[in-house]
Amino acid sequence: MIAVSNLAFSFGPKAVFSALNLTVRRGEILSLLGPNGCGKSTLLRLLRGNLRANGGQITWAGIPVSEIPAAIMARKVAVVPQGMQASFPFKVKELVAMGRYPHRKNLLSFADREDQRVIRRALAMTDIIGLAERPVTRLSGGELQRVLLARALAQEAETLFLDEATSHLDIDHRLELSELLVRLNRELGTTIVQVSHDLDLAAAMSQRILLLNGQGEIAAEGAPGAVMTAENLRRVFRVDVKVEENPYTGAPQIHPLLSGVVPRLETAKIHLICGGGSGTTLLRRLHLAAAELSAGPLNEGDSDEVLATALGIPLVRELPFSPYSPTALEETAAMVDRAEILIIATQWWGAGNLACLELAETALKKGKTVYLLGTERGRDYTDGDAEKKIAILRGLGARSVENEELLLERLGRKAL
Amino acid sequence: MKVQSGAKTAWIRRAALLLLPLAALAWSLAAGSLELSWSELAALLLQGPGDGIEQTILWRIRLPRALLAALVGAALSLSGTSFQAVLRNPLADPYLLGVSGGAALGAVAAISLGFTAALVPPLAAFIGALTALALVYLVARAHSCSTHTLILSGVMVGSLAAALLLFLLWRAPSDATRQAVFWLAGNLSLATPGWLAWGWIWVGSGFLLLWACAPQLDLLTQGEESAADLGLNVARTRLLVFTLAGALTACAVALAGLVGFVGLVIPHICRLLWGPGHRLLIPLSALFGGCFLMIADAIARSVYAPAEIPVGVVTALLGAPFFLYLLRHKGDGL
Repeated sequence: MIAVSNLAFSFGPKAVFSALNLTVRRGEILSLLGPNGCGKSTLLRLLRGNLRANGGQITWAGIPVSEIPAAIMARKVAVVPQGMQASFPFKVKELVAMGRYPHRKNLLSFADREDQRVIRRALAMTDIIGLAERPVTRLSGGELQRVLLARALAQEAETLFLDEATSHLDIDHRLELSELLVRLNRELGTTIVQVSHDLDLAAAMSQRILLLNGQGEIAAEGAPGAVMTAENLRRVFRVDVKVEENPYTGAPQIHPLLSGVVPRLETAKIHLICGGGSGTTLLRRLHLAAAELSAGPLNEGDSDEVLATALGIPLVRELPFSPYSPTALEETAAMVDRAEILIIATQWWGAGNLACLELAETALKKGKTVYLLGTERGRDYTDGDAEKKIAILRGLGARSVENEELLLERLGRKAL
Repeated sequence: MKVQSGAKTAWIRRAALLLLPLAALAWSLAAGSLELSWSELAALLLQGPGDGIEQTILWRIRLPRALLAALVGAALSLSGTSFQAVLRNPLADPYLLGVSGGAALGAVAAISLGFTAALVPPLAAFIGALTALALVYLVARAHSCSTHTLILSGVMVGSLAAALLLFLLWRAPSDATRQAVFWLAGNLSLATPGWLAWGWIWVGSGFLLLWACAPQLDLLTQGEESAADLGLNVARTRLLVFTLAGALTACAVALAGLVGFVGLVIPHICRLLWGPGHRLLIPLSALFGGCFLMIADAIARSVYAPAEIPVGVVTALLGAPFFLYLLRHKGDGL
C-alpha cells in the first residue's frame, strides 16, 4: 500500500537516510524499532508527507505522497503524535471533534449529529469520557496521549500512524490501548504503523518489525520472532539481552542482562589509550565500572579528550594536533605503571602517536595485561611500522579483541 | 454550588450579549461636550435627522463616530484574534507584523510631502500597511512562513518603518509633525461618512470570511504538524488568514490611526469568557471589541469635555484592570 524506494533524506548536512526501501502492506501492524535518533519518527513523517524527501519516492497505492491533497490524505491516515503542547484551553471533546475535520460537511462546525456518535465512541474506546469537559491544558501526559489517540480514532482513517503514542501511559492503559489497536486491525482492517520503544509490546502485537540501526539503515526486517534475536538487538542497541518465548502468547520476550559487565570491574585499574572517537564507548562504560581509570595521551580538543575531561577521568594532555612529546609520554608511562590493564583503542597510527605502542611493549614486559581493540581494521600511516609493532606486541602476549562489547565481557570475566 | 454559579455566569453572559451593544451605542450617543439625558436622546432618535443643533450633533456627528468606533474596535479585535491563533502566540496583536509601522510611515510620508487633503493620509496609511504586510510575507515565505519567522520579520519590518518614520518626523516642519503625531496616537474624529460605509463593507466581508475559517483557525491553534495531520492545507490557510487579518488592521489604521490595546486584550477576554473555539470567538470578539471601543470613546469625549483624551489612554485604563481581574480569577484558561 505504501511503497518507499531509494528514499534519501537529510536534516541540513546530517544524512538520516541514504537509500531506504520498504513497503507497508495493507492491513498489517508494522513496528519501527531502533535506537534514539535513528530516524524512526522522521520516517513516519516522511511517509505521511509532512517532510519532503531529498531523493527517492514514496507512494500510496501508486500515487506519490506529495501529490495527494491534504484533505484526502487525512482520510487515508490519522497520526497520533508523541505529545503536544496544549496552549489553547479547548475541551477534550472539542479537541477530539477536530478529528472529524476531513469528513466535515458543514462550513462552520466540526461535527454534526452523526459525527457526535463517532466522537463519543472514540472517547469511550480510549477511556476518557470522564474527561470530556476538561480543558486539554489541564491534563497529564498520559491523559493527553489518550486524547490524541481518540482524536485519531475519530478521524476514521484506514491507516494509523503512532509515534511512541503510548510511552507516557501507565501499564494498564498501555496494554488496553495495544489491545484496542490489535482489535481495530483485526475487525476493521486498519493498517497500523507504529514507532515504539517498548520492544516486548511491539514484538507481541506486530505482524512485522523493521529494525533500524543508528545509521538509518534497515538492520533487520520480518516477523517478530525472526527480527528480535539477541544477535540483532546487540548489533543495533549495543546491549546484551536474552530473548525467550513468552509462555502465554508465544511472542519473543526480551530480558536485558543488567548483571552484565558493569558491577564486576570494581577492582580493575585500567589505562586507556585512544583518540579521535575510538574511546567514546569505553571511556563512558569503564568510567562507570572500573575502580581506577586513566587515559591519554590525548590532544586537546579531540572528541575523546573532551569526553574524558567531562567525565573527570585523569588524563595526559597534549597540544592540539601535535605529536606526543617526551614529557607527555613519560607522564603516560607513569600512569600505565599504576594500572594493571592497558587498553589500546586507537585505530589510526601515524608518526605522532606511534610511541604509544612502545609504552604497550614496556607494559607487557612488566607483566601487565594489554588489550588491542580491533587493530585489524585500523589504519596505518607509518609505512608498516605500526603493523610491525603490533605484531611484536601480539608476540609478547597482547590480546586482540574485536569490539567494545566483547572487551567488556572479557574484562568482566577476568575480574571475577 | 458549582451548578448554581455556572447557571449564574451563563445568565450574565447572555444578558451582557443582548444589552451590551445597545447600551454602548446609547452611551456613545449621549456622551460628549453637549450632554443629553436619556429622555432627550430617545426623543431625538424618534424625531429622525433634522436641522436642529441637537439633531445635527446626534445624527451627523455622534452616530457616525459611534459607528466608526464600533467598526475600528471590531476590526482590531478580529485581527488580534486571528493573529493569536495563527501565530499561536498570546502576545500577538494586530500591530505585531509591521502593519502599524507601515501604516504610520505611509500616512506621515504623505503628510510631510504636503498631501494633506482629507482623503490622502488614510489612503496612504492603508497602502503603507498592506506594503509592510506583503514585505513580511515575502521574507517569511522563504522559510515556509513558520510562525517564528513571521513574527521576527514582522518586528524587523516594523522597526525599519519606525526608523524611517522618526527620520521623517525629524525632518518635517513642525505643524505637519504635530498633525502626524496627533493622527498616530489614534483618533476617531476624522471619519467622513463615505469612508465609513466603505469601511463597514470591508470589515463586514473580512468578518464573514474569517468566520468561515473558524474550524481552520481552531486547527491552526493545534500547531502546524497537527493541523496538517488533520487535513488542513496549512500554508494556504495561514496565508489567507494572515491577509484577511492584515487587511482588517490596515482598514482600522486608515480610519482611526493606531488605537492600542483593543486588538491585544479583547481576544483574550473573549477567550476567557467563551472558550477558544473560533465559531463563537470570531463573532463575539468582533461584537465585544466594537462595544468596548464605543464605550472607551464615549468616556474619552466626556471626561474633560469639551477636550478629548486620546482614546488609547482610555482603552488601556479600562481594559488592563478588567483583564488583570479575569487573569487572577480564570488565569489558567489562557
